[in-house]
Amino acid sequence: MKHKNALIFGHNEYSIEIVKNISGYYDNIYIFKLDDSIKKTNINNIMYEVFVFDLTDDWDDLDKRVDINECVTFCTLEDMAENIFLTISLRDTFKDISIISLAKDKESATKLKLAGASSVFPLTQTTANIIVEMLEKPIVTEVLHNILYEQSDLQIAQIKVQNHHLFEEKYPAEIDWSKEHNIIVISVLKKNNFTEFIYSAKAKHSPIKNGDVFIVVGYEKDIVKFEKLIGSRYE
Amino acid sequence: MFKNSLVNFAYFINTSKKYAKTKHFFYNLLENPNYRYKRYFDIFMVMLIFSSVIILVREVKFDVDDSLLFFNNYIISIIFFIEYMLRLWIISSVSKVIIMRSEHDAMLGEKFKLLPPLKEIFLVKLKYITSFKAIIDLLAIIPFFHQLRLLRLFILFRVFKLFRYAKSIQTFTSVIALKKFEFLTLLIFASIVVFVSSVLIYVMEANNSDSSITTLFDAMYWSIVTISTVGFGDITPVTQEGRIVAMFVIVAGIAVFSFTTSLVVTAFTEKLDEIKDMKIIDDVSKLKEFYLICGYGSVAKEVAKKLSKNFKVIILDEKKEMVEEAIKDGFTALNFAPGSIDSYKKLRIKIDTQVKAILCLSHSDVENVYTALTIRSFDKDIFILSILINETSKNKLKFAGVNELIFEKELIGMIAKEFIGQPVAFETIHALRSNLNGIDIQEIVINSRVLSSFATVGDIKNKKYRIILLGIYKKEEAKFLFNPTKSTQLQNGDLLLIIGNIQFIDDFNNYLHKKAS
Repeated sequence: MKHKNALIFGHNEYSIEIVKNISGYYDNIYIFKLDDSIKKTNINNIMYEVFVFDLTDDWDDLDKRVDINECVTFCTLEDMAENIFLTISLRDTFKDISIISLAKDKESATKLKLAGASSVFPLTQTTANIIVEMLEKPIVTEVLHNILYEQSDLQIAQIKVQNHHLFEEKYPAEIDWSKEHNIIVISVLKKNNFTEFIYSAKAKHSPIKNGDVFIVVGYEKDIVKFEKLIGSRYE
Repeated sequence: MFKNSLVNFAYFINTSKKYAKTKHFFYNLLENPNYRYKRYFDIFMVMLIFSSVIILVREVKFDVDDSLLFFNNYIISIIFFIEYMLRLWIISSVSKVIIMRSEHDAMLGEKFKLLPPLKEIFLVKLKYITSFKAIIDLLAIIPFFHQLRLLRLFILFRVFKLFRYAKSIQTFTSVIALKKFEFLTLLIFASIVVFVSSVLIYVMEANNSDSSITTLFDAMYWSIVTISTVGFGDITPVTQEGRIVAMFVIVAGIAVFSFTTSLVVTAFTEKLDEIKDMKIIDDVSKLKEFYLICGYGSVAKEVAKKLSKNFKVIILDEKKEMVEEAIKDGFTALNFAPGSIDSYKKLRIKIDTQVKAILCLSHSDVENVYTALTIRSFDKDIFILSILINETSKNKLKFAGVNELIFEKELIGMIAKEFIGQPVAFETIHALRSNLNGIDIQEIVINSRVLSSFATVGDIKNKKYRIILLGIYKKEEAKFLFNPTKSTQLQNGDLLLIIGNIQFIDDFNNYLHKKAS
C-alpha cells in the first residue's frame, strides 16, 4: 500500500540520506528529534521542520498532526537501546503502522524484529555484504547496483498482470520473454504474497493469472511497452 | 694497471645478471627461510649430519667399513666445505666494496687505493668467520680431528652443526639471550658459592682419612654436583663441619635451581607473543593468496567472517585489544600498524603476488587515508577498498588511491528508496544476493575450454538447465550486454551472469566445462 507521509525519528547522517532518497515518494516528510537543538533542517534544498519527541508513550500530538494509517515510520536513532524502545513504543500504540528501523548489528536487528519492526536494515551486515559481494562477484554487484539504484538504462520493475487472456493459461517459464519482449522475468509474486523464482517447481505448476506480479529487468522503453501490454505498474 | 683491471672486473661482476642470479639463488638456499627449496636443503644437511654422527658413534667401539669412513671423511666434509665457502661468499659483496671505494676516491680526485677496500672486505669476512655458527661450521669440516683421533670432539662439532638447521634451538637461544643479565648474575652467584664451598669443604675434609675429598678438584666436583641438586653420592662429607657446609650448598642449590627455572619461564612468557607472531608471520609469508584487512571493527569482523569461508584473511591492527578480539573471533591477526611501511617489511608480505585486495575497514577516515597512502607509496596496482565514515573525507580517500569506497549512510539511503519504491523487486534482489530459497546469481568465466565447445550464446542452452542468462560482461569492451542475442559471439575472459537454483548452476557450469572432453 502506498503511504502519503513518512515519519523520520532521529536527525543524523542516516536520516538525512534516507530523506534525500525517499522525498519523491511522499507528500509530507516529518522529522522528529529527541531534543530541540534544531528547529529546521535543509536537505537537498528543501526546508524541513524538525519536531521534538520523547520516549514516553504519549503519541497524542503525533496522532493529531498526521493520519497515522497513511504513514511509514523510519526509526533511525543512533543509540540502539533508544531505537528499540522507540520501535516497541510505536508498535504498542499503532498496531498497523509500517515501521522501518536501523540496526547497528545482528543482535540489535533481532531485538528490533521482536520489538515489532516491519523491516530492519542492519547497518554492519549490509555494508559487509556489499563489500564481500564486491570482492567475490564484482560484475554481479555492479550490474545489480546499477539496476537497483537506476544508475544505468537497465531497470527493475514490478508489473501486475491484468490481461491474462494474452497468455492462454501458459506457465511463466514456458514463454520466451527475452526473445519476445527483450525483458527478463526473474520471479512472480502470486496472490498469496509468495514470490516464486520463474523456474521454481511451484511457478512451473501455476499458470499466469490476473493479479500476478512479474519482477522484470529490462530497458525502460521495453518495460513500458511490456507494462502497457499486460497490465500496469504494481505499487 | 692491476688496480684498473680489478675495478673493471668488479664492475663486470656487479653488472652481470648471471652472477647476481646465481648469488641470489645461493642466498635464498642458505639464508632465506621463506625460499621454498631451503626446507629441502636443510633436511638434506640434517640427514648428512645424522649419518655422519651415526658413523662416528659406531666407530667409538666397533670397526666401520672403509667406504663409510671415506663417505664421512671426504664426501660429507667436502659438502660441508662447499657450504662453508658459499656462506662466506654470500655474506657480503666484494665487488660492491671495490666499486664504492673507487668511486669515492674518484669523487675526491684521488688515486684509487687498494688497501682500504681490501681491509673493509677482510673485516667483514673475518667478522663472519669468527661468529659462533661459522666456527662450528669450520670445526665440523676439518677431518683433522678425526685423524688426530680426537673423535669425541669431532662428533661434538658435527652435532653442534645441527643448531644451524634447527629453528627451535635458535628460538630457545634468542629467548635465553633476553635474560642475559639475570643469567650472568646467577652464574656469578653460583660461581661464588661453588668457589667458597669448594675451599671450605676442602679445608674441612682433606685431612680426614675417611673422607673421599682429597684434592681441590674433588671438592669442586662435589660442590657442583651438590649445587646443581644432582647429588650422585659418590663423594660425601664425613666431618660435622663438612656436613654443615653441605647444608648451605644444598640450600643455595635449591635457590639457584628455582631462580634458573623462573628465569627461563619468565623469558618464555615475555617472548611468547613474539614467538607466536613470528610463527604467524612465517605462515603468512608462505600463503599464496589472501585478503588483507587493515583495522578491526564491527564491519571488519563481518567481512572477515564472510570472506574466510572461501579465502584466507589476514587482519592488521595497531591496537592490541582489537588484535586479541580478532584472534578470539578465530581470525589470523597481527599487532602491526597498517599505516606503517615498516609493518609490511617486517611481515615480509609481497603485496603484488600474495594479496588479492586490501580492505581499509577502520572506523576512522584518518586511519584509512593514512593506510591507503602508505600502501600506494609502494604498490600502485593493488586493489584498495575502504569504508567512508564521513562524506567530507570522500575526496581525500580517492586522492589517497582507494579504488572503491563504501559509504554506509548513502547505501542505507539508497536501500530505503528501493525498499519504499519497489518492495517486491527489492526483496527479489535481496533474496538473490543472500541465496535465499536456494536461488543465486553467479558469474561464470568463459575460458578456452568452454570456447572449444560453445561459440555463441545460442549454443549454451541455459534454459535447458533452468537458468536465466541475465547478460554477458564483455571483457574486451568492458561492457555489460543485457539479454544477448543467440548469435552473440563468446570470447575468452567474458563473464556470463546467470540466475538459477544453486544446484542447477553447478550442473550448468559442469556441462559448459565437460563438453570439451
